[in-house]
Amino acid sequence: MSEETEKIDTVNEHEADEKIDPEKGVENGDGDNGEDGEAPPTEGDIQKEVENLKAELEKIKVEQPKEVLPEEKFDLEEFDQSYRENLPKEKLVLAYAENFRRQYVHLYRDRKPLLLNPVNECGVEKFVSTTIRPTQLQFPEVYDWDGASEFVADYLNFEPLNPPTDLPKRLLSSTTVLNRQKGNCFEYSTLLCSLLIGNGYDAYVVSGYATKETCLMDETREICPLLQKKEEAVKEAAKKEVKKYTVKPPKDLTSKFEKMMASRKVAEREAEEAKRRKEEEEKIAEAEKPPPDPLFGLRIHSWVLVLQGKREVAESFFIEPLTGLSVPLDTHQYLGIESLWNHQNYWVNMQDCSDGVKGMKYDLGDCTLWEFMFQSNEKPLLEIPEFHDHDDDDEEEEEDETEKQLDMPPSWVKAIKITLRDFQMRCPQGKKIKLYKKSKLEKFAHYLQKDGLTAKLSVYDDNELKDLVQVKEFFNHRLDKLYMRGYNHRTDWVIEHYYPGRQRCLKEHTYKRSASGPENERTMVFYHEARVDGLLKREETPVEMTEHFKNRDDFLYYRHILFGKRAKKFGPSEGPNHRPIWKIHEKFHRNKDIPANEDIADLVFSIQEEKILLTYHTEDVRVSASTREFIKPPNADEKGATLLMTPDMHTTFQVDPNQSSKKQVELYQMLVDLVRREEKSRNKVRDSEQEVRDILNDRMKEEVASELEISVYDTERNEKAKKHRKELERLQLEEKMRRQDMEIDYLAPFIAQLGDPEKINKETAFRLKEAALTDLKKRLIDKANLIQARFEKETEALQKKQLWFQQHQVNMSPEDEEDYMSYCSEMMFRLNIFEARLNRHRELAPQKYMALEQRIRQDSRLAEFFMNP
Amino acid sequence: MSRLYDTVEPSVIDDDMLHKAVEEQGPKEEAGRIAKAEGIDFADVKSLRLDFKNILKIDNLWCFDSLTKLQLDNNIIEKIEGLDTLTNLIWLDLSFNNIEAIEGLEKLTKLQDLTLYNNRISKIENMDCLPDLQVFSIGNNELDELENVIYLRRFKRLKTLNLNGNPFCKVCVQEENPEDGSEAVYTENQDYRPFIIAYLPSLDYLDYRLIDENTRAAANEKYHLAIEELTHNEEVENKKEEERQAKEKEHNLHKAAYVENMDGPALFHAMYTEDAEGQKLADMPGVDEMLVVYKEKYVATCHQIFEYGLQEHERRMEEVNQFWDCIEEAKRENKEMGMKQINQFMEYKKRLFQELTHLTDQQVLDNKITEYNKRLQELWDKLMGLELQLVDQLEEATKDFERNLSDLVSSFIENCQGHISALRDLENIHHEKLLEISIVTLEKVVKNELDEEIPEDLRLLFVDKDTIINAVSSSHDIHLLKIDNREDDIVTRINQWMSQLMTKIHEEEEVKRNRMRVSEINNLIDHLREEMDTLDLQLGYN
Repeated sequence: MSEETEKIDTVNEHEADEKIDPEKGVENGDGDNGEDGEAPPTEGDIQKEVENLKAELEKIKVEQPKEVLPEEKFDLEEFDQSYRENLPKEKLVLAYAENFRRQYVHLYRDRKPLLLNPVNECGVEKFVSTTIRPTQLQFPEVYDWDGASEFVADYLNFEPLNPPTDLPKRLLSSTTVLNRQKGNCFEYSTLLCSLLIGNGYDAYVVSGYATKETCLMDETREICPLLQKKEEAVKEAAKKEVKKYTVKPPKDLTSKFEKMMASRKVAEREAEEAKRRKEEEEKIAEAEKPPPDPLFGLRIHSWVLVLQGKREVAESFFIEPLTGLSVPLDTHQYLGIESLWNHQNYWVNMQDCSDGVKGMKYDLGDCTLWEFMFQSNEKPLLEIPEFHDHDDDDEEEEEDETEKQLDMPPSWVKAIKITLRDFQMRCPQGKKIKLYKKSKLEKFAHYLQKDGLTAKLSVYDDNELKDLVQVKEFFNHRLDKLYMRGYNHRTDWVIEHYYPGRQRCLKEHTYKRSASGPENERTMVFYHEARVDGLLKREETPVEMTEHFKNRDDFLYYRHILFGKRAKKFGPSEGPNHRPIWKIHEKFHRNKDIPANEDIADLVFSIQEEKILLTYHTEDVRVSASTREFIKPPNADEKGATLLMTPDMHTTFQVDPNQSSKKQVELYQMLVDLVRREEKSRNKVRDSEQEVRDILNDRMKEEVASELEISVYDTERNEKAKKHRKELERLQLEEKMRRQDMEIDYLAPFIAQLGDPEKINKETAFRLKEAALTDLKKRLIDKANLIQARFEKETEALQKKQLWFQQHQVNMSPEDEEDYMSYCSEMMFRLNIFEARLNRHRELAPQKYMALEQRIRQDSRLAEFFMNP
Repeated sequence: MSRLYDTVEPSVIDDDMLHKAVEEQGPKEEAGRIAKAEGIDFADVKSLRLDFKNILKIDNLWCFDSLTKLQLDNNIIEKIEGLDTLTNLIWLDLSFNNIEAIEGLEKLTKLQDLTLYNNRISKIENMDCLPDLQVFSIGNNELDELENVIYLRRFKRLKTLNLNGNPFCKVCVQEENPEDGSEAVYTENQDYRPFIIAYLPSLDYLDYRLIDENTRAAANEKYHLAIEELTHNEEVENKKEEERQAKEKEHNLHKAAYVENMDGPALFHAMYTEDAEGQKLADMPGVDEMLVVYKEKYVATCHQIFEYGLQEHERRMEEVNQFWDCIEEAKRENKEMGMKQINQFMEYKKRLFQELTHLTDQQVLDNKITEYNKRLQELWDKLMGLELQLVDQLEEATKDFERNLSDLVSSFIENCQGHISALRDLENIHHEKLLEISIVTLEKVVKNELDEEIPEDLRLLFVDKDTIINAVSSSHDIHLLKIDNREDDIVTRINQWMSQLMTKIHEEEEVKRNRMRVSEINNLIDHLREEMDTLDLQLGYN
C-alpha cells in the first residue's frame, strides 16, 4: 500500500509541475510576438509575415474557464420521508460505518478514504449499501445481465467525476438518477447493481481506479462492437477417411529437392512479409497509443463485479456500466480496487493492486483478502465444500451471535420504476451518439425517426472522423421490411437487407447509388424458398443478366443472358423497346428419371447466330458428354409457320458410337420443342426485366412513403386501436352520463310540496326528510298490505274450489279430478310465492328505509344540515 | 350392335392395314413428310388405332414393341389374344366387340386403362396381373352376379369404374312376354351403386359420376358389417402374406450365409428320414433316452454352425461393400479428373474456333491448327494416362480384396468343417453306444430275458449278431453320408460364390470398363479432330 501512495504523491507533484506549463507557453508566445512586432517588415516578405502572424496567432489559444456548475439543488418536498430523514437503525449503521472508518484511517493511514456515507439528494448521509435497491423490472429485455447493462448504458448520460481523483461527495438515489437520466460512474454502478441483484445475480459495486479512457467513457480507441467480425467457425476439412481398399494415389514423380527449394523460398518470402506486417502493426499501435496520462492510477472509477455461482454465471466478470460491456477479470483498464459492496455488506480490499486488478482473488469470505464491515452478512464464498458440513454446527451458534449484531436496514430508496414509454425511448430524448475508433454510432429509439431508423454506424478512415468510408443504417418496424442499409462512399455501392415477407421475396439488394435505375449493375438476392420460380440471385450488368435458381422442378439452376445494343427506333414507338437478346445460356441439374444421355445439362440459345447448342449430362461410366447442335430454321420466328428442316441443320457427337442414331422425325420433334423452349425462355427474360423494374418502382414508392408497421398489441402507437379504444371510452362515458340523468330525483316531489323554496334551511330540511321517510314507510306498508290482500283473495278462491270439489266429488270423471288436483297444486304454488314475497319484503323494508335515510343525509342539498347532528 | 357386322366379311390385320393406320395416325405436316421419307418403324409407334375395321382376330401386332395405346374398338373380336408381346401397353380399348371372357391379359402388367364396354362378358376374372389398373369400363356386358365385382377389390389404384347396363344393375319390372311381343321392362337396381361404393373404397367415379361424401357414407353405413368382416379377413390374409415374405427373406439370408435350416433339428431329422433301420433301432430299450441326449447335443452344434455362418456372412458382406465403395470412389475421382481435362480443352476449343472465324492469314491459321492438334494429342495422352492409372489402382485393390476374401472364405470353411467333424464325432459316439446296446439286447433276446415288448420288425433284426451289426452300421453310414453331403454343399457353394464374384470383378471392372473407356476416349478425340477438319474445310472455301 505504501508503495502505491508514494507513486501517487510523485504523480501529484508531476501534475503540479505540468499545470504551470501552459501558462509558461503562453507567456513565451507573447514574448515572441512582441519581438516579431519590433522587427521591420521587408517588402515582399509581407506574405511571409502574414503567414508567420497566422501561425503565431494559431498558437494563442483562449481556454475557457471551466464552468463550475453549481451543485444541483433538489426540492426536498418532492421526496419521501425516507429520503429526508434517517431511521434509528440507519443512524446506527451510519455510526457503525463512521466507527469503521475511524478505525480504518487509524490502522491504514496511508490509504485513501473509503466511500461510506455520502449524502443523498436531500443532503442526508446515507450508507452506500442502503442505496442499492434490488429491483426487478417488468421488461424481459433487462432480465439478463447484458440486457440490463446495455439499458443502463443507453438510458443515462454520463457525468464525469469532478475532480477525477476524488470520491464524489454525493451519491444520488437510483430513482433520481433515472429521472435526471444522467449520473456519474457510482450512480451508474448503483443502478445497474440494483437491477442485477434484483434479477438474482451476485453483483457488487466496485470502487477503484481506472484508466483515463475508461473513466471518461472514451471509446475512441475501441473498435465498435458492431464492426467486430465474428470469428468464423474454423471448419476442419473432413479428412478423407482411409478405407481398406482405397486405391493408392499415383506415384509422385516430381523432384523432392526442387520442392524443398521452392518451399524454402516461399517460407522466406512469407517471413519477410510477416516481419513487414508486424512492423507496420507496431507502428500503428504506437501511433494509436493514448498519450501518457498524468493522473494515471489516480482516477477514481466505479464499476460492477458479477461473481460466479448464481444465474448460471460460470465465471466471474466485471461490467463496465458506462458502456454496458463485460470486461474480463484480468483487464488492463481497471487499475485497482479500494472497496466493494452490495446491498448487504461492505468489503475493503486488502490485496496489493500495484499490478492492476490482475491476479486478484474475489473470495469475499477470506478476511485476509477482504475486510468486511458487518459480521452478520459474512458469507464464505468459494470455500471448499468440505468445510460446509463441518460448519453446520457452528453456524447455529453464530446465528445466536448475529442476532445481537447489527444487520443492514432496508434500502431507503423507493422502488425503481420505469414506464414503458421511457423504457422504449432508451436514451435521453431517444438519441445517443457514441464514438469509437474510426467510427461513430448513433442510436435512436424505436418509432422516433419517421423512417424507422434505430441505429446508424458511420465508419471513417481516419481517427478524426473526417474521411467517411461507409455508413450502415439499421431500421426497425419498417413496412417495407428493410432492416439494414449499407452505403460505401468509396465504391458508391448500396446494399440493402430485407426481412422475409416482401411481395417479391427480396432479401438483399446491391446497387450503385449513382446508377440506381434498371439495366444497371446490381445484385438481388431473394428468399428462394418462398418463390414459385425458386430464384435465388439475380446479377445484372448493363449487357448481362445472370439468374441462379434452387430446387426447381425442371432442374434449371442457372440462366445467363447476354443483351445486345438497343436498336434505335425512329418514329412513334410501338410497345416497349426491349434490349435485343443475343444469347441465353441455361444449365440444368441431373434428372435421374431419364438417362444421362437424354438429359440436357447445358442449353445455349445463340439467338444472334441462330443456333441452338445442347450438351447432355455425362453418364456415370463416361468422362465425355454428348452434344447436339441445331441451326434454327429460317422461319422459326414466324408465328404459325411450319418449321422446315433438312438433315444438314443438325450435327451431333455421341459418346457411344454404337448407339443407334435418332430418327429424323425425332430430331424434328426435338427442334420444334427447342424453338418453343427458346420462345419461352425469351419471355421469361422479359418477365425478369419487368420484375426488376417493378421492384425498383416499389422501392421508390416505399422509400417516399417510409411507413412503419405497428403491432396490434402496441396500444400506445397503434392509431387505429387507439381510436377504437377512445371511442369505447367515450361511449362508456356517455352511457354513464345518461344513467346519471336517468336517476330520479327522489326529493323533487317533496320540495315541490313545499313550493320549491329557493333555499333550503335547516327546518325545511328536516321537514323534507320527515316527509320523504314517512312517504316511503307508507308505501312499504301499502305494498305489504297489497301482497297480503292478494294472498287472502287466492286463499279464498282455493277454499271455494275445495268446497265445490267436496260436494261434487262423487259424480266426477277422472279427468275432472285430475284438473282439480292440478288446480290445487298450482294454487298452493302461488300462495307459497306470495308468502315468500311478503317475507322478503318484510326483510328488505327496513333496509330500504335506512338506505333512504342515509341518502337524504348525504344529498348535496341537505347534507350541510345533517353533517353534525 | 355387333350383329350389324355379322353379314360383313371380317378383315384380317395385315401389313397394308397397319401401314395405312400408322401413316394416317403418325406425325403431320413437315414431320410427316420427313417421317414418310424415312419410313416408320413399327417398333417406334406409341399409339395405334384400329377401329371400325371388322377385325375378327387380333393378330400380327407382335412388332409394335413400344406401343402404349391400342384401340381396337368397334370390331367383331371374339377373343382377347395376340397381345402378349405388347408389354408396354397402358391403354387398351376393346369396347364394342363380341368378347365373351376376359383372358389373355397376363403379360400386360403396365396396363392402367382397360375398356371392355359393350361385350358379352359374364364374369370378371383373369385380371390378377394388372396391379396398376386405374380405369376399368365393363358396362353393357352380361355380368349378372353383383358379388363378382368384389373381385375388383384387389386393384388398390382403381379410380374409375363403369358397370352401367349390366344385368345386375337392373330389376325386372315386367317380364318378357313372347305372346304380344312386348319386351321385358327394367328399372335400375337401387342396391347396386351403394354396394359397389362400399366394397370398392378406392373408387372416385362410378358410371361417369363422381361419388360424393354423402353417398359414400350412406353406402358404408349400409354394408358396414359385411365390409368389416371382409376387411378383417383381408387383413389376416395380408398379415399371413407378410409373415410368409419375412420368413422367405430370412430363409434367403440364411441361404446366402450357407447355413439354411441349421438353426433347428432339420439336419438331424434329415438323417433319420431315409434311415429305416435307425428308426427301427430307436425302439430298442434304452435307446430313446440316449437319442434325446444325442439330439440335444447335435442340435446345439448345428446351432453353433448357424450362428457362425451368419456372423461370417455379415463380415463377408461388409468386406464386399467396402471394396465396392472404394472402387466407386476411385472411379468417381478419376472421372472428375478426366472431365476437368475435357472441359478445359472444350473452353480452349470454343475460344479458338471463335478466333479462327476472324482470321484470314493462312500462315497464322495453319499455326493455330497445328497447335490445336498438338493440344488434342496432349488431351489424349492425359486421358489415357488417367485411365492407365485407374487400371493399375483397381488391379491392386482387386488383388488385395481377392486375397482377403479368400482368407475369409477359407477360414469359414475350416471352422465349418471343424464344427461338422464335431457332429461326426457325436455320431460316432452315438453309433458305438447303439452298437453296445444292440449287442446287449441281442444277448437278452437270445436268452429270452427281454422284459419289454419290442416291435415285430425290430425283433426280426435280432436274428444273429451280423444282422444287427449290419443294421446299426448301415444306419451309421447313412448318417455320415448326410453330414458329408451338407459339408460338401457348404464348401462348394461358397467357393462357387467367390469365384463368380471374382470373375465378375475381373471381367466387368477391369476388362470391360477399360475397353469402354478407351474406345470412348478415342471416339472423342476422333470427333474433335474431325470437327477441326470440317472447320478447316469451311475456312478453306472461304
